Amino acid sequence: MTAPVLDIRGLSISYGTEAGALKALRDVDLEVGEGSIIGIVGESGCGKSTLISAIIRLLAPNAQIVQGAVNFKGRDLLGLSSEQMRALRGDEISMVFQDPMTSLNPTLTIGRQMSDVQHRSTVSRSEKNACSVMMLERVGIPDPEAQLKRYPHHLSGGMRQRVAIAMALMAEPSLLIADEPTTALDATLEVQIIHRLKELQREFGCSILFISHHLGVIAELCEEVIVMYAGEVVESGPLREVFIDPKHPYTRKLLECDPARIAEPTRELPVIEGSLPNLVNLPDGCIFKDRCSKAEARCGIEPPKMSGDGHRAACHLLDHFQETSP
Amino acid sequence: MSTLLAVNDLRVRYPVRGGFVDVVHGVSLDIKRGETTAIVGESGSGKTTLAMALCGLAPVYGGEVRFEGELLQRDRKNRLNPDRKRVALMFQDPVGSLNPRMTVRKALAEPFRIHKVESADPDREALGLLDKVGLGEDFADRYPHQLSGGQARRVGVARALALRPHLLIADEPTAGLDVSVQGEVLNLLSQLQQEMGLGILVITHNLNIVRHVADRMAIMYLGRFIEQGDSQQIFSQPRHPYTAALLAANPSPDPDAQPGEIELKGDVPSLLQRPPGCEFHTRCPGVREKCRGLFPEVSIDGEHRQYHCFYPLDY
Repeated sequence: MTAPVLDIRGLSISYGTEAGALKALRDVDLEVGEGSIIGIVGESGCGKSTLISAIIRLLAPNAQIVQGAVNFKGRDLLGLSSEQMRALRGDEISMVFQDPMTSLNPTLTIGRQMSDVQHRSTVSRSEKNACSVMMLERVGIPDPEAQLKRYPHHLSGGMRQRVAIAMALMAEPSLLIADEPTTALDATLEVQIIHRLKELQREFGCSILFISHHLGVIAELCEEVIVMYAGEVVESGPLREVFIDPKHPYTRKLLECDPARIAEPTRELPVIEGSLPNLVNLPDGCIFKDRCSKAEARCGIEPPKMSGDGHRAACHLLDHFQETSP
Repeated sequence: MSTLLAVNDLRVRYPVRGGFVDVVHGVSLDIKRGETTAIVGESGSGKTTLAMALCGLAPVYGGEVRFEGELLQRDRKNRLNPDRKRVALMFQDPVGSLNPRMTVRKALAEPFRIHKVESADPDREALGLLDKVGLGEDFADRYPHQLSGGQARRVGVARALALRPHLLIADEPTAGLDVSVQGEVLNLLSQLQQEMGLGILVITHNLNIVRHVADRMAIMYLGRFIEQGDSQQIFSQPRHPYTAALLAANPSPDPDAQPGEIELKGDVPSLLQRPPGCEFHTRCPGVREKCRGLFPEVSIDGEHRQYHCFYPLDY
């Protein structure tokens, strides 16, 4: 196997708050192989955003990196100066955000914004424009030349998101981070964007880190998936294995709760009882034990470690589950 | 069951440079007591504008609306004026729709003060409402920024239901929520609906929740309902090609699911340049010559199923 593009080891991040350090991310490992598409799922507050912000080094000022390393193509991103980091962003690593209306500047034309992202290139303006037109074509925007003169509000939601993707891929990055890029779109456009991302990934060979809490979108796009809960990775592995045979009780519950998986219409949808633990005063033992129906005495004492090969999970009761599962 | 809201040929038109744009273009809809109707469609199809017009927050250009049998009059600015005590609105952004400088207690007591409900003790009512939506008394003195998305949503539900409305209009009531919290909010709405006989109009683009909570559904495209009817029937047998594409495109969380997608070409046309003929013909996989020139009037099919298509899908 070739060296991973992104390799995160033991990353822990805390936020300074009045009540004390909020341990938003604890001992997170993540590996993104060259040309792979990895999905991150988890509910709000699970640390997805903190993780991305750490990778692109745009953490809030009260965030503190407690320990760990973020290796990107052999360089430790956490050790780079802000100038060096700025040189990477939008070049080697780029991002597509959730809301294309707020990530594009409403007062500048699409053409202007697309040549702005080529600020590193020394070619002439007309060449930059030609580049923009080509990129817009590749993401499937009709009549790209005419679009350059238009403003974001002239475009539909799906087109705006495709413009954002075109801008992100402009510099042919090695890693594309997409943070819920389809939440603002309807199902037909969502599928269009997912297909487009898959195609572009094949063409450009970049790796994609895809964040979503829409399990259907993850299933459609990703090869591997990472499940996070309350700041920890609780399960990871090939998508099929994780979605068909989830090992961690949290993953099981999360999948059970998805209304798309419930065939018979019901007015009483399943929920995960209880609430997220307090991340300032962390409970002892397993982070999920208070909401887990199978918790035992040792779950309250000792935090479980990730175990397994390929398909990994952090739970004391893994063997127990394997016996009981059909 | 009796009809709560009857909308007939409702139109919302905004002036733009060099003309006007019809955001809601002749929408008709009946909502019955105790029933949930869902409106689905992509962003920009006019869903939210329709909700706003029904609540009197957007001007109406044409059509009429009856609420509990009485015709709603328009005010000077052409807005409808439903009795706000009987029609409640839940907004899209749960935190943004709460005043950041008001505690939960104050926000919940406000409807009673505004509508001068004298019989009620607003403070006691506020606590009762919190209990009803499953939040403890200790939430009463919190500010919106101290609430999670799900909790803020519950406060939104409590506030909307404070004056025991007969109709609740919920604009994307679960957008941005996790599946588990989404389940909690929807269960809460279903439960309150049973207790209060509430009619609910849900606006969403999440088809998975529509399948579970809606009795009826309407699919909106370019400001029109291209199909409406019983939601189970529509899910099993869509007649309009756009409905079929929308339902088929819904990504399945089952990794082995066969993608039965009907890929739609191109983009949604601009409201400023509505296509001639059937407005869906530019993207329709089954387009024929007639569709390009003639507008398909409404077809009625069995149990109140309505759609606009010359060549509906057969089963």
